Amino acid sequence: MKIIIDNKACAGHARCNEVAPGLYELDDNGYISTAGFDVEVGQQALARRGARACPERVIHIVDEPANPPGNGLNKGQKQ
Amino acid sequence: MNTDSVTNAIPSNVPAHLVQDFDLWAALTAQGENAYAWAAKLHESMPPIFWVPSLGFLPGTWIPRRSKDLRRILQDPETFSSAGLTPYPMLLGESWRLAPLEVDPPVHAKYRALLNPLFTPKKVNALEEDIRQLATQLIDDIAQTGRCDFNEDFAKPFPTLIFLKLMGWPLADRPLFQHWTQTLIKSSDPQVVTDNAREITGWIRARIAECRANPGDDFTSYLLASQIDGRPLTDDEMLGINFLIFIGGLDTVTSTIGLFFRHLARNPEQQAQLRADPSLIPDAVEEMLRSYSIVNMRRTVTRDVQIGEATMKKGDIVLISTELANLDPEVFDQPEKVDFLRSAGHAPHMAFSYGVHRCVGSHLARRELRIALELWLTKVPPFRIATGTTPRFNAFGIFGMEELHLEWDVEETR
Repeated sequence: MKIIIDNKACAGHARCNEVAPGLYELDDNGYISTAGFDVEVGQQALARRGARACPERVIHIVDEPANPPGNGLNKGQKQ
Repeated sequence: MNTDSVTNAIPSNVPAHLVQDFDLWAALTAQGENAYAWAAKLHESMPPIFWVPSLGFLPGTWIPRRSKDLRRILQDPETFSSAGLTPYPMLLGESWRLAPLEVDPPVHAKYRALLNPLFTPKKVNALEEDIRQLATQLIDDIAQTGRCDFNEDFAKPFPTLIFLKLMGWPLADRPLFQHWTQTLIKSSDPQVVTDNAREITGWIRARIAECRANPGDDFTSYLLASQIDGRPLTDDEMLGINFLIFIGGLDTVTSTIGLFFRHLARNPEQQAQLRADPSLIPDAVEEMLRSYSIVNMRRTVTRDVQIGEATMKKGDIVLISTELANLDPEVFDQPEKVDFLRSAGHAPHMAFSYGVHRCVGSHLARRELRIALELWLTKVPPFRIATGTTPRFNAFGIFGMEELHLEWDVEETR
């Protein structure tokens, strides 16, 4: 599993860091300091929670198995 | 103000079925304690984006209610400009801007870069003890009295003291700042707003002159020593930034904290829930920020744009209603329900807005709110709305509690 972050669109809410400080590190301005990273097994649930916490929705999860379980991330687009 | 007198012609780009003839702020104010439940129902009765002919003394505006549309709008400052968002410089016949809020990208980032390092989560961590101490003093003063005027005794002085401390400005000026905050932001009388804006700018200009002559360790001196594009800031830029910090840092926390405490006073079981498990407080802060969002802002359309059914023309005004977005049933199940166990991480709210103008003080605000709840629930017995008083809610501009009196039983052990 991989996290890809559109870090240019980060607005500095820092909610990802609040949820998972060890995964989502901030720079000296309080914005995300990375454009992405590989997630180790065991950290996946935490990485997902951090991604979901982003109000801007700029943190994306890739390399997931097909049909990931509903997690509310795309709730705004539900039918 | 009689809003009926502001009957504006409906622009030709607004189809009749999107026109809703009511004043959102007046309606919310009239709803009082039901305001947010009533706002949640607008999601059932209103089109996704509707148009109102007036809003207080402001002209007609589009009102998008869905979180999704508001995110799209706020993430596109090129199409939805925040220039000229506030009336203050205009009321004074002056031309400065409240930077960075009223400045669009790419210039926006230059101003924002000056503020960001001062308000990071790390910086806020370093303030924790100061905030705790200030809150403790205020609460200790009233805990044994069994009753308080919540605004005067806590909601106003608490953020004002933290603000003055953070700015490095004289704590003795607290009453002045509290007065200005209330009259500037809460008054619907343009003359009162103008007079107070003049006093505030007078205070800030004097401060700038003082710091220029005798630089200190305060915010104004920091700005004087800062540069944009390799040059120092002009007096107008200095004024605009200081003024914005003033209006952003004071009333917002006062208003939010009042709504939080009214909720807890009215819902003893939820107050008990937090007393029994204080580890829920950070989630409770998020849930109440969502449930009781207070900020309404506006954007100006810079080019014709279509969002859903709404054909917006250059020059149209769009309302950014944080409370509507945060009560959107497409994002939050039973949005009118305040549930501390609702997982904040699953569906983030937008109380601090979206996009480049995200509230720079969001981390500080969260910390102040969390500490206020922690200390109140530790130091003050279960509180309720004071007998014989009625909380008064106002939804003009920045929503908040005009009146909130609390009471509690004091143990007679001493």
